Amino acid sequence: MAGNAFFASPPPATPRDRRFQVTRQAVLRGALVLFTAPLFRLLPALAATRLEVSEVAPGIFVHQGRYEMQSPENRGDMANAGFIVGDEAVAVIDTLGSAGMGRELREAIRAVTDKPVRYVINTHMHPDHVFGNAAFKDDNPAFVAHYKMARGLASRADRYLAVNERMMGKDALAGTEIVLPTLAVEDRLTLDLGNRELVLEALPTAHTDNDLIVTDTKTGTLFLGDLLFSVHVPTLDGSIRGWLTLIDDLEERQVARVVPGHGPHAMELPEAFGPEKRYLSTIAQDVQRLIREGKTLEDATKIAGFSERDAWKLFDKYHVRNVSAAFAELEWE
Amino acid sequence: MGLAFFEEDAMPVRTKSLALIGSAAALTLVLSLPMPSAEAKPDVWQTLKQQTFGDRAIATDGMVVLEMPDTAEDAALVPLTVRVPPHVRQDLKSLTLVIDNNPDPVIAKIAFGPAAGNGGERSFSTRVRVEDFSHVRAILETGDGELHMASKFVAAAGGCGALMAKDPDVETVDLGKMIVKTFPPALDSNPIWSGQVMIKHPNANGMQLDINTATIIPARYVKEMTVKRDGELVFKMEGTFSISTNPNFRFTYGRGQDNDLDVTIVDTDQTVFAGHSDPAGS
Repeated sequence: MAGNAFFASPPPATPRDRRFQVTRQAVLRGALVLFTAPLFRLLPALAATRLEVSEVAPGIFVHQGRYEMQSPENRGDMANAGFIVGDEAVAVIDTLGSAGMGRELREAIRAVTDKPVRYVINTHMHPDHVFGNAAFKDDNPAFVAHYKMARGLASRADRYLAVNERMMGKDALAGTEIVLPTLAVEDRLTLDLGNRELVLEALPTAHTDNDLIVTDTKTGTLFLGDLLFSVHVPTLDGSIRGWLTLIDDLEERQVARVVPGHGPHAMELPEAFGPEKRYLSTIAQDVQRLIREGKTLEDATKIAGFSERDAWKLFDKYHVRNVSAAFAELEWE
Repeated sequence: MGLAFFEEDAMPVRTKSLALIGSAAALTLVLSLPMPSAEAKPDVWQTLKQQTFGDRAIATDGMVVLEMPDTAEDAALVPLTVRVPPHVRQDLKSLTLVIDNNPDPVIAKIAFGPAAGNGGERSFSTRVRVEDFSHVRAILETGDGELHMASKFVAAAGGCGALMAKDPDVETVDLGKMIVKTFPPALDSNPIWSGQVMIKHPNANGMQLDINTATIIPARYVKEMTVKRDGELVFKMEGTFSISTNPNFRFTYGRGQDNDLDVTIVDTDQTVFAGHSDPAGS
């Protein structure tokens, strides 16, 4: 954000004039902060146009996140989020990566409908999908997630907050807090939005140990959360074996469209899963071969899956971590 | 079916997070605060060195090499390899691994026995948690009692506090499962074999939160590991919770008769786990 650039550290002063410099800097900074602080609250609102959402089916709206890591500029807008409007109420599916982005999502909902937000559904525990939850607290919805999501998020909360603050900055993260689920799905749960039923399914460990998918039966639209990545390299925080098994099942589903956690607004089965399946299979096969050859985790992080490098965005950011996780899992087979 | 969470269960977590947010908000205007960095940390090594090795001299002379990634992709699972190059001819006495900024910085001490081997490159690898941006050190004691050090600065954060298991339920079921493997050298002329020990164990550090009970999971980790080849000691390790969940070790040992490995592991609950290598070379 512009705010950070204003206060970027000055070049280090030489010892001789250091004391004077620092004092003067501090005074100037203090003055700047005092005079401009009220303006900063307005800046994002003035600068931002309304969050872009696309109606992928009647009453179903999806915002497409950027293919980026979190940053002061994107404020955690790096995953897909959506909302579904029934006759009586609205359900939100994922809330983006900061309270600020959550508020923008809420404004986008308000531009479409006045109906109350009755459910905020999180497809899994990752910050880019749940950190906007706080923006909906005043709506008093049920926060709905897989029954293992609360444990997963709570045990990682401090780290998630610290890492995101480091990457995004305090300003972009202002107002963000951990909002845990109030309604847990153990297996299946049907929610009624008024002449519109959503079927929620809690799935076995794959992308994480708390993946939840949502089907809008009216339009045959399936929100897959991060069980489906497109363009953005998949990230593995659960079980590669479990994920591959699950894909075999999910790609057989008879639905009109699927919404990925990262990727375009909507895609079609079974093609949508093709690249992800190839990526995960390649890692699994390479890692298994290296384990058979007596190679180490370290060796694997330099070799396994690199044939996929040009096929994905953010490959260099996540791939090595994926290989480490796959290795630590598959070496027990 | 839905299941409502008890508010009481969630409270301590929420309270803590709110407190964090609150303090973050309070700091928002203090924009000139420096980001935490390695430079800001006091030099803990001088203190650690004194405590661990007293006034003994420690040479940085290439007798030992430490390999770690510059940036840990997963702070809870950072591969660490110590190599003793083939030109080092002496027997090895001990190896001490240190992560300066971890809560318990001396993360492992390994005392080598007669079956540790000599006559080729020797190595020891494991996976560790790195709590912060930190120097990591390997201090090797050679047979003549001299100390040699290699160090590396690693950027990682939050390896200790985070719950490491991807799926804690599965890990609980398998606790204690052990695999011991041996790998013969590529050339028969090389007298150095390598072995691997892996055990399903949380190696919990007492810093992880159990959401179901809203309590801290008590520390439980591998305290001691003894590895023998054909009954002779390869090494005995004293470990800490800085070793990653599901502790995993690769190491070298000297060629013997059968080259089978016997492993005994004792954790802080005094539970004893025993393992034996599969038939040689498997």
